[in-house]
Amino acid sequence: MQNLENIINLCEEKAFDLHFSHAKKWKAEDASRVIVGYLPIYFPREIVHAANGMAVGIMGAGDRKQIIKGDAYYQSYICHLPRGVIEMALDDNLDDFDGFIFPAICDCIRNLSGMFRISKKGKFSRYFDYPQNFKRDIGGNFYLEELLKILDDIKAINNVKPSKEDLNRSIKLYNKNRRLIERLYDVRQEYPWRLSAVETYYILRAGLSITVEEHNKILEDVLEHIENNERGEQMDNIRVVVSGSFCEQPPIGLIKSIELAGCYIIDDDFMLGSRWIIGDVDEDTEHPVDALVRAYIERSTFSSAVYDVGNPKGKRLVDLVKRRDADGVIFSAASFCDPALLDRPELQKSCDNAGIPHINFQYHENTGQFKVIKEQAGTFSDSIKLWA
Amino acid sequence: MDNKVFTAGIDIGSNFIKLILMDYTVDNPIVIDKMTEKIRKRDPSQVADEMLQVIYRRHGIQYEDIGYLASTGEGDLIKRKKGHFYGMTTHARGGKFMYNDAVTVVDMGALYVRAIKISEDARVLDYKMTGQCASGSGQFVENISRYLGLSLEEVGSISLQADEPEVSSGICAVLAETDVINMVSRGISTPNIIKGIHLSIASRIIKLLSSLKAESPIMLTGGMALNEGMMQALEEQLAETGKKFELKTHPDAIYAGAMGAALWGGYRYYKLKEKELEAV
Repeated sequence: MQNLENIINLCEEKAFDLHFSHAKKWKAEDASRVIVGYLPIYFPREIVHAANGMAVGIMGAGDRKQIIKGDAYYQSYICHLPRGVIEMALDDNLDDFDGFIFPAICDCIRNLSGMFRISKKGKFSRYFDYPQNFKRDIGGNFYLEELLKILDDIKAINNVKPSKEDLNRSIKLYNKNRRLIERLYDVRQEYPWRLSAVETYYILRAGLSITVEEHNKILEDVLEHIENNERGEQMDNIRVVVSGSFCEQPPIGLIKSIELAGCYIIDDDFMLGSRWIIGDVDEDTEHPVDALVRAYIERSTFSSAVYDVGNPKGKRLVDLVKRRDADGVIFSAASFCDPALLDRPELQKSCDNAGIPHINFQYHENTGQFKVIKEQAGTFSDSIKLWA
Repeated sequence: MDNKVFTAGIDIGSNFIKLILMDYTVDNPIVIDKMTEKIRKRDPSQVADEMLQVIYRRHGIQYEDIGYLASTGEGDLIKRKKGHFYGMTTHARGGKFMYNDAVTVVDMGALYVRAIKISEDARVLDYKMTGQCASGSGQFVENISRYLGLSLEEVGSISLQADEPEVSSGICAVLAETDVINMVSRGISTPNIIKGIHLSIASRIIKLLSSLKAESPIMLTGGMALNEGMMQALEEQLAETGKKFELKTHPDAIYAGAMGAALWGGYRYYKLKEKELEAV
């Protein structure tokens, strides 16, 4: 087992390799392998894995790529993520990808899928609509059809039609992945100083561009390092949940600033797609694709991009804060992110009603100045430590 | 050392690092040591660590003997500490500690000036601060003094010798520096130039106080609060504008941030102890 620092460095490298060389190398080893890029938030990677593919999360270029062409595609009042993604596509970062999936979370992503089609990127480019009706026989059937279309897309490329066993095996691997990630968050809830939020972020984000088998091994190793061994020293920090960063990712400097300002981030929605399904998907079933459908319908987490009648996200956020024993919430969303910013008042109201302190700010994925954010987070931390 | 509760505060500013060691054993905590060090292009966290080692040696203690080591300012970069407090929170507390009747604290630091309205328990109620421009800051005074070949220590006393101060731009540091060059070439005396700079900064501080609707007494903290020329300029400007503010300062004004950090650290030390006992 490697030492933890080496694992974290490796994860940082994989997480921010905008050429996805690890995935491309993996594909080059076998002619029947495919790599399918998907945009935030969630996509059931199990079906790609079962079809001898790797689903690679494309989380934007962040602050690591200069945007020139991307700005010509989007107006100034649109968020930053799609600019970076189209820039990557036009700069050939995404060459060798066989297909692209654009989960339906907002108009910007929808438009991005159109741009990929016009630019003829990948062998398929699909705008992937999720059900907003959570009845199995209505929204569920619709979602099942959508998933089967993706399987057809992949089969058209590599002629692989996954068997029931293949699908169950993939589901099992991703169940393990989700369980390990939750264990990681559980350890951080108890001992947040053992693994910083930035380190956690590297580890989770790396998982979007390597195989699930490799990621599971990394997670197991990390857990072995931190579950029963002390690392770092406990500080007198407040404990916060960060909400609103589910799509365009915050710059690392922002996460660091929140921590340096005296806040332990004990839960967040940075890599929400990897934690989307709560609990296990049925992994021993005659109808594995249907199991994925049921998991989505019945056990999805909450997010601004999901219609939530009957299960309000405000209440779910409050429940999360209580479960994680957090002192407050930091609403941190990308500028011009309509889903996050439109939800914010409702979520804040729920926090107010539950007596949970909160602050909010906005960022771009390539924001470089964090002084104001640090001051906000710092005063928030002081106000809780000294006067709550 | 037995049964003593030490707390320490480290305030990393843009020019100086300030360190305070307190004995927080009793209700009325006392400062038992203090230290400042100019950063001089070194790694601030490294300098802070060296300062701590000096303090530890002086008192025969080590990190583990400090009940709460708190940082403030840019001190969040210090790796080994118990907690970090925001600069405004610590200056408010430090100012109140040095002058208990203060209801406003003005932190006159190297990069900006902050006027802070505080409550009876040193809580920040409201604040105003100078904007991006450096013309209202200690760094600006330092730059000008360097152009004029003065040490920072003599700036205050030389300012007091002015008889006909020449006021420079109060808006932009670049313009003000150009003003100073012109003044030198016009033969304006050094005391009159320095006094003019102080008056310019003083007028900005008074504008801050007005927009904050500040009340008296006002405690002045930060490095510039020790500059007697600056203090005189402030009093003159206040008299000129008819504002009746009672200004106070303290020989330890530069330590206000570090002192506030050590004090809040002490407060948190006991709070955490209480929590521990509750858990038991």
